[in-house]
Amino acid sequence: MISLIAQITTGDDLLVAQNIFWWFFALVTVLAGIKVVTTDNIVHAALYLVIVLAGVAVQFVFLGSEFAAVTQVLVYIGAIVVLLLFGIMLTRGSLGDDQLVDTERRGMGALVALLLFGLMAFSLVDGFEDVVLPEDTRNLIEVEVPIDTDIDDDEFIRTQRGSDTAAIGDTIFESYIVPFEAVSVLLLAALIGAVVIARKE
Amino acid sequence: MDFSAALPVADVVAFNRPAIDWHAASPELILLGFGALLTLVDVIFLDRAKQYTAALAGIGLLVTMVPILTLANDMSETGPRVMFDGAYVIDEFSLIMKAIFILSGYVVILLSTNYIAEGDYWESEYYGLMLSAILGMVVMASSRDLISIFVAFELLSIPSYMLATWKKRSLESNEAGLKYYLMGVFASAIMLYGMSLLFGASGETILTKVNASLSSDPLTGESLSSSTPVLTLAVIFVIVGFAFKVSAAPFHNWAPDTYSGAPIPVTAFLAVASKIAGFVALVQLVFVGFYARADVFQPLMWILAAASMIIGNLIALRQTDIVRLMAYSGVAQAGFILAPLAVAGDVGDQALASIVSYLAIYAAMNLGAFAVILAAARKTGSTSIESMNGLFSYAPGLAVAMTIFMFALAGIPPLGGWFAKFQIFFAVVEQGGTWAIILGVLLAVNSVIALYYYASVARRIWADQAPDGDLTPIRIPPSLGAALVLTVVATLVFGFLPGAVSQFTDVGLIAGG
Repeated sequence: MISLIAQITTGDDLLVAQNIFWWFFALVTVLAGIKVVTTDNIVHAALYLVIVLAGVAVQFVFLGSEFAAVTQVLVYIGAIVVLLLFGIMLTRGSLGDDQLVDTERRGMGALVALLLFGLMAFSLVDGFEDVVLPEDTRNLIEVEVPIDTDIDDDEFIRTQRGSDTAAIGDTIFESYIVPFEAVSVLLLAALIGAVVIARKE
Repeated sequence: MDFSAALPVADVVAFNRPAIDWHAASPELILLGFGALLTLVDVIFLDRAKQYTAALAGIGLLVTMVPILTLANDMSETGPRVMFDGAYVIDEFSLIMKAIFILSGYVVILLSTNYIAEGDYWESEYYGLMLSAILGMVVMASSRDLISIFVAFELLSIPSYMLATWKKRSLESNEAGLKYYLMGVFASAIMLYGMSLLFGASGETILTKVNASLSSDPLTGESLSSSTPVLTLAVIFVIVGFAFKVSAAPFHNWAPDTYSGAPIPVTAFLAVASKIAGFVALVQLVFVGFYARADVFQPLMWILAAASMIIGNLIALRQTDIVRLMAYSGVAQAGFILAPLAVAGDVGDQALASIVSYLAIYAAMNLGAFAVILAAARKTGSTSIESMNGLFSYAPGLAVAMTIFMFALAGIPPLGGWFAKFQIFFAVVEQGGTWAIILGVLLAVNSVIALYYYASVARRIWADQAPDGDLTPIRIPPSLGAALVLTVVATLVFGFLPGAVSQFTDVGLIAGG
């Protein structure tokens, strides 16, 4: 599936279908993001967050980085949102009595968000407006093309991008071994500290 | 069975075992080993091990100093040791900073020994978290790569959040931990966003390569000045993240509440080790990562330095609690340390050397001040400035020590602080531009303002009457006494023999690999 999309992205023509889907998922993500902060019900907010995070995962698929997409689904939707829902469940009396999630400073918050959005949109557009990504030549593999068997032998074989997952795995244990080990210490320390803090005396 | 045919990817990517310089990595590994040992001893011996955990943590830190000294000894022959393409570098700067982290961590453990045991807090977990935070700092001192810097930053922050809330039965401590945590993760998020922009603009995570691609386009050789807004935003976001950590104004509002609520040894740890770690990250980013773009980071540093000095000092004048006073004085000190970064693009080495000596001296005098506050609070049970009244009449030794630390912090010769402040001032004025001169004037004016509140603490200690006329002396346990002696000696040596510190801190520009 992934290599298919990667093939499409390296083509020269304007890709109508891909563009339509890109805009569709981008709009869904943004609308769900707005609902996360405007809805009054905290459980609904958490569920809208699932849509936002899934939308980001879809964008990773469009970029041909399937590892980031799967990680996004596993970590964010699978772990963080579930944790959030557990947190809501354990800290509220019952699911029935919904106190409204709102704040008097929503005007101020909206203003700051708009300003930050304007600032970042301007500088991102200004910085990357004309940038054309070079074709990704890393990690190419040769595959046989199974159709049109009666043409010349050479055209059986074509190159396309392989999966990045193995490369990511190797990089973690090559150049990023120090941060990787540091993260493992970090997780253990966080676990021990959390047990101490959460524990009843 | 042979699966390789079914997995075409496996032939493409070959795993290269990275070359690891075990001597260079040994301080981290020893620290890690002692952390693991501490946890194991606790699991196996349970309560019987409780009385030895503090000593074990302290010994771990002292043993870690051995490879640092041998590495420093070899440095003149081998030069900087570079690992992983320049992502992890052992040079003079990193060794000095590692030594400062480990020694200040050792003093914090001396401060904690009786405090944690007598307060009936969780003991071995406390030292385990302390060691892992120090490990994060030690890793930070060598990290020359965005990912390593971020991970090291989290490794030193997350245990600190939990240590700040270690007095679980105290609401103030809970508030301290929660505030620190919320502000800290907010700052991390901003910093990470800045790093992602930096990666987007440069396509690299290793700082030297980031610097190279920020200065000119690698393909055409053209300047990338068209993307200055993106770079500015990236640099601002990254620096803001670390400005929270070093409690520079206007990102300082967590500091007073967290400092006064947290256990006092943890406050000392946050005010010294954790703050220095933030500066180490900033210095590495500025001198290795952004050095080509002085036009972007210098104005930002100027504003942060000036705001921190002015805001910190003016609010410190009105404090009635000694820990909150130290918090605001810490904000002002952060402004002093940031000042050379505002001229770093022009004076280079000199700015770096002045920051390193300030950090070494700052660690000694600030830890000492917290040791005295801790000792005085053992009797008075309070941290208000009034509780220090008449300290001289019942604890003359503590009174002399506190006076030394206060005047050192104010920068009165011949105590440690004067040399630090003098070097900072000299580096800033050396640049000679109008803005540098204005910053120099601000430094001078703020030194005078700071003298007022530091001296008023000293006046209370010597001239005022003890509250309720209670003159029972303070019993100082041996570990606290050792911490006091160490910090007093360091402050005096740095003051009388500034050559002793500048000989070590006179580092050349940081090696990037």
